[in-house]
Amino acid sequence: MIQFRSVTKKYKNDNYALKNINLDILSGEFVFIVGASGAGKSTLMKLLYNEERPTSGTVTIGGINIANLSNDKVPNLRRCMGIVFQDYKLLQNQSVYDNVAYVIRTLGISSREINARVTGALKIVGLYEKMHATPSELSGGEQQRVGIARAIVNGPPLLIADEPTGNLDPKNSLEIMQILDQINQRGITVIVSTHDNAMVDYFRKRVITLDKGEIVRDIQAGTYE
Amino acid sequence: MNDQKLKIKKKVKKHIPKDWLCELRILYRLSMETFNDIRRTGIVNLVIITTMAAILTIFGAFFRSALSISSFAHELGNVLEISVYLKSGSDPNTVKNRIKEFEYVEGVKIIPKDVSWENLKREMNLPDVTNPLPDTLHVKVDKPENIEPVFNKIKELSSVEDMSYAQELAKRIQTLNHVVNTITVFVVIIMAILTITIINNTIQLVIQSRKDEIEIMRLMGVSNWYIRFPLIMQGAFYGFSGALIALIPLNFVQNGLVNMHQFFMVPAPVYAQNIVIIIMFAMGTLFGAGGSFLCIKKHLQV
Repeated sequence: MIQFRSVTKKYKNDNYALKNINLDILSGEFVFIVGASGAGKSTLMKLLYNEERPTSGTVTIGGINIANLSNDKVPNLRRCMGIVFQDYKLLQNQSVYDNVAYVIRTLGISSREINARVTGALKIVGLYEKMHATPSELSGGEQQRVGIARAIVNGPPLLIADEPTGNLDPKNSLEIMQILDQINQRGITVIVSTHDNAMVDYFRKRVITLDKGEIVRDIQAGTYE
Repeated sequence: MNDQKLKIKKKVKKHIPKDWLCELRILYRLSMETFNDIRRTGIVNLVIITTMAAILTIFGAFFRSALSISSFAHELGNVLEISVYLKSGSDPNTVKNRIKEFEYVEGVKIIPKDVSWENLKREMNLPDVTNPLPDTLHVKVDKPENIEPVFNKIKELSSVEDMSYAQELAKRIQTLNHVVNTITVFVVIIMAILTITIINNTIQLVIQSRKDEIEIMRLMGVSNWYIRFPLIMQGAFYGFSGALIALIPLNFVQNGLVNMHQFFMVPAPVYAQNIVIIIMFAMGTLFGAGGSFLCIKKHLQV
């Protein structure tokens, strides 16, 4: 499903974020991208949702090289995947329901369909009861669950989570990871970047370790170290 | 009652193609987004709309006055005539037909020398002597600026003894028209620059205040035009609302000008007020949307 071929990302002053990355992620996989701060985890995630473009090499998703995707096609790409962020990125002045419904409303879907999809997504993350609350009335873990509901509401085949538990305590982190695991069990490919070793060790999924922009380890059912 | 409403809604929906329904929903959402954006801009809206109204009032008042001045100039031009004095023995009808063929000539009137002489005698109480006056032609030209070329052409005719026209007045009318047109173009340019700058700055503030929201929309895959469209509409709204308010002072200008036309017994230009209103609304809305569009191009990276 996802292929990285000889991908290098270089910033100014010859600062390499990623060096010659070759990587295959199959449909339906759950993958942890781990590494210390500055290892290149976030850059790799940004390449997936086209927030960054590689300096060289190709990034292919579903057979399409997104490295040279025209700017007007980027929103289409992002609508085909769900993205979860460390800082949740929720619209603070809108309710949980409206946050989740926001993107699908822009697609001209009927209210009935939107309602069905939003309530379905909120039930998956366990926030159906709090659909009228605003993000400020929710805990960090709940806000991240809203972020996950928003990411899956459009039924994407791929979910990218960039440090989803970075701002959460262990209990909430575990809940979030369990939700992501459930989503993966529905057949959605899940890629999670994290430096939370406890979670990686607990779930025993495929682990790709980055160090100074290079893949130094790629093992199935692995641990953090 | 609600059941009845639902039934009607279903019936209407049945007849709208699915693609259209989708587009209509998007349009509805975009309108709501625009409305919400304007609502969130708060009191700043009033400041912008008032400023726009002031600019459009100046433009509208100037444009409307320019139309009236043009109409005055045209009216004055209409009374301008070239007097052509013919050599004795020339046939006035032949010369008249010749002049009528010239470009810009609207009409030629023969004043026979006997008529001129009778009039002069009556006015000046002259004794009965031999008529010394020649046959005269009064030539009417379409525009004041065309008098000179027609004058020069007539001068070349062999049957013409002498000619005269109010050369100074014609030139002044021509200059006045030219000045008014130049100033109108200048005002339009100034107005465009002011409108675009004001809208540009306002939308820049809106983008700054909604930076996080726009960033989220962008990352979630909301299409570029869906993010841009409400901002462009907001710019257009300011221009349109400004024009709407400018109608009030413009009405006073219109009344004043109509009184002036009545006083000088010069007919007011037909549809002038309607033309000014249409152009004012079109320019306000277009420049408003244009200012917003330029700002988006520069400050909104989607």
